[in-house]
Amino acid sequence: MAAHRLPTAVVGSYSMPAWLERAKNDFLRRRITAHDLDEMHDAAVKAAIKDQEVAGLDVVSDGELRRDNMIDYFATRLPGVEIDRGGKASYYDFYDCVVRNRMPMAPLGLVEHFRFLRRFTDRRTKVSVTGPHSLVKRIRNQYYPTEETFALEIARIINLELRELVRAGAEQIQIDEPYYSGFPEDLPWGVRAINTLVEGVDARLSLHVCYGNRYGKPSWEGSYRYLFPAVLEARIHQITLEFARRGSEDLRLFKEFDAPFTLGLGVIDVKTHDVETPAIVAERIREALAVLPAERLAVNPDCGLLHLPREVAFPKLAAMVEGAQLVRRELDG
Amino acid sequence: MIIHLNFLPKPGETGAGEVLASLFALADQGRLDPELLPHLRLHLDWIQYRANFREPVTVRHAADAQGGRMALAELAVDLRRVPRDGLIDALGGALASVGAVEGETTGKVVVEDWAPLGQSTIWQFNRLFWQRLGDWERESGRGFEAALPSGRSDANDPAAVADAVADFWTLLVELDKRGQLPAEIFALEIGVGSGTRAGLWLDRFKALDEARATGFYPRLRFLLADYSLPTLDRAMSAVDAHRGVVSMIATDALNPLRALSFLRYKILYVHLTNVYDNLPVDELVRRDGQLYLVETRAYLPEPAARAIVTACGVGPAELRPTIARLLETGPDLFGDRPRGVAFWRAVWDGLCLEERLRRLEGTADVPLPPGLHGDDLDELLASAPADVRFHISGGAVESFVNTVPLLHPRGYLQVQDIFVATMDEYRQGFRGPGKLDGSVVNWVNGALLRAVGARTGYDVHFAPFRYRPGSRTSILYTTLRE
Repeated sequence: MAAHRLPTAVVGSYSMPAWLERAKNDFLRRRITAHDLDEMHDAAVKAAIKDQEVAGLDVVSDGELRRDNMIDYFATRLPGVEIDRGGKASYYDFYDCVVRNRMPMAPLGLVEHFRFLRRFTDRRTKVSVTGPHSLVKRIRNQYYPTEETFALEIARIINLELRELVRAGAEQIQIDEPYYSGFPEDLPWGVRAINTLVEGVDARLSLHVCYGNRYGKPSWEGSYRYLFPAVLEARIHQITLEFARRGSEDLRLFKEFDAPFTLGLGVIDVKTHDVETPAIVAERIREALAVLPAERLAVNPDCGLLHLPREVAFPKLAAMVEGAQLVRRELDG
Repeated sequence: MIIHLNFLPKPGETGAGEVLASLFALADQGRLDPELLPHLRLHLDWIQYRANFREPVTVRHAADAQGGRMALAELAVDLRRVPRDGLIDALGGALASVGAVEGETTGKVVVEDWAPLGQSTIWQFNRLFWQRLGDWERESGRGFEAALPSGRSDANDPAAVADAVADFWTLLVELDKRGQLPAEIFALEIGVGSGTRAGLWLDRFKALDEARATGFYPRLRFLLADYSLPTLDRAMSAVDAHRGVVSMIATDALNPLRALSFLRYKILYVHLTNVYDNLPVDELVRRDGQLYLVETRAYLPEPAARAIVTACGVGPAELRPTIARLLETGPDLFGDRPRGVAFWRAVWDGLCLEERLRRLEGTADVPLPPGLHGDDLDELLASAPADVRFHISGGAVESFVNTVPLLHPRGYLQVQDIFVATMDEYRQGFRGPGKLDGSVVNWVNGALLRAVGARTGYDVHFAPFRYRPGSRTSILYTTLRE
């Protein structure tokens, strides 16, 4: 499919079916086998890909449906992280995990899941990884002298995996750093960790920063002003931010600062079941066009759709695609 | 027969042994059906409220999905109220009724059809009470708080209020330090009562703010929310000194989000006292691995019905439709309010609930309130005693899930009420609905709220209310589930 202006994509996750949640919990309680759960994951991912395609998205993901949450998927794969496997009651809880020694370099095994995605779509694809700053906030550190050194080590390990993903054909990689908004004072070293993470990674790189989506609600409130100017140093191609729920006020930051990257514009509020109309989506895009040209805009939801039921998530995506098409037609005259 | 003994009577009250001796005597006299015995359960359980909707000896049978009679039957005896004299006959009469045909209503005036407890007419009475509180209080000659079992509300304990204010103020200071304190500081009280607590809270907050020179009070937006406008008006007069920072809003406690959606994720503190215990509830029973939903129908025992007919000048055949009219139009139904209130009070005083256990095929058949998932119920049942009767606190769950979306990411919910904190506590007995002066009171299933809280991103904790010795109140508070 040829690339066009205002490309549409999910931020990462797609609606988690209730039956899959039950299966994940059943696996946690040893009621079903890993093989059974893997089969269900495969089926759910295929359905998520199909939904994104039918909704008309230009860029699709695997819906992140194999992940328990944004932390554990990586914590359980990172070498040297000790996990208390009996420590969580629900799949969505975070494991209690700790690093007590220097972390060795080793592959994380994300490539296999990417290849599965590639096998079932011919659209452009996106793979998301949780950023080092967010991981550092959830994995207890009993070895590294500072949070920054810990984050840089994690960045070096994931960097190897990102290079493997590129070798396997990944073209777009997104780094999720929602914890920036809770710890704005960390931003200078948070950006240094991002730059270590993406060193030599030959893909289109985006950085997603939101105000949290844990349990489908925000974890913090405030303004994106804290990101600037530090985030301008990040060696990324796009920053993906939420605007639908929070309003467009922070768009003016892109007028104020000459950002070297494009903007992934959040036009779908993922914290409400109210489905936006294409007209509302189009209006949100037009507001952004007052600040940035269409060539520097991509269109996406505010954050992952994990917490929305499919009957809400799907029409939201369809409305997003239709809203983008409305604006494209206007731009094409 | 299985005996569930959860209540040890006080000296002078009828003893469990006397009940057993009476049952053995009935067996000796051939008045106990041998076919009933293997399926009979005797419950000598503890009901906290002496005033409740049960007669001292009640019998409930099980029915299948179509309403057909099943073998299981339960005999419940309130040891505090059952008279020694005539105990054998009371038990014998109750047991004899186990075999009675379904439609038989001898000795009572039935005022509604069978329905799950949550849909019972008692909740319409409850709503009427709060809507027409002033009429009721004028007739009773005392305020509703004076009619509480302890004679006052734990909501208004000054030390408890001072601690609540201190906790809130500490949160504000922490947010302020991080530059995350919003310009407007929203706090919400749902179910305002007389307004006394809100007044105490605001006095204390203002004093603390002035003493520490933090400047929070002028930024405070304190919302009084209640579904009764007369109650709100009364509460507003109790916070007169704080009119500049207080607003009132008519809100259904079951869904505060409906009226306050513009404050989604903005409210830093939400407080409720004795609201959850006054919201509709259903009950589930598990016996021998089988689930049952408790269905009830309200009735007036024959003596109470006769007294009302005589005192209120309503014909016996008119009793049920007149009660329906009362619930629809309020105490002006006769065009004579004092007479209407007297009728209302007399009916409430006499009202009882008959119970039966409706068999469910499984948890998928349980009518779940919004926010409660079947998986949560399965997990709760897994942690519950094998034989158990417990609350599905549907009103409380609905209120909870429609309140927490209002909370600021760092905000919290605090609820003072009577909670059963774990499913295992139901082993000690079942605390069924109590009848206060005009309203319903019910224990709230805290374990259920904990499960619902976890799903919505909050850990739910319970702390004992340590401000009044002997108080059964607990304080529910939420913390963010990371």
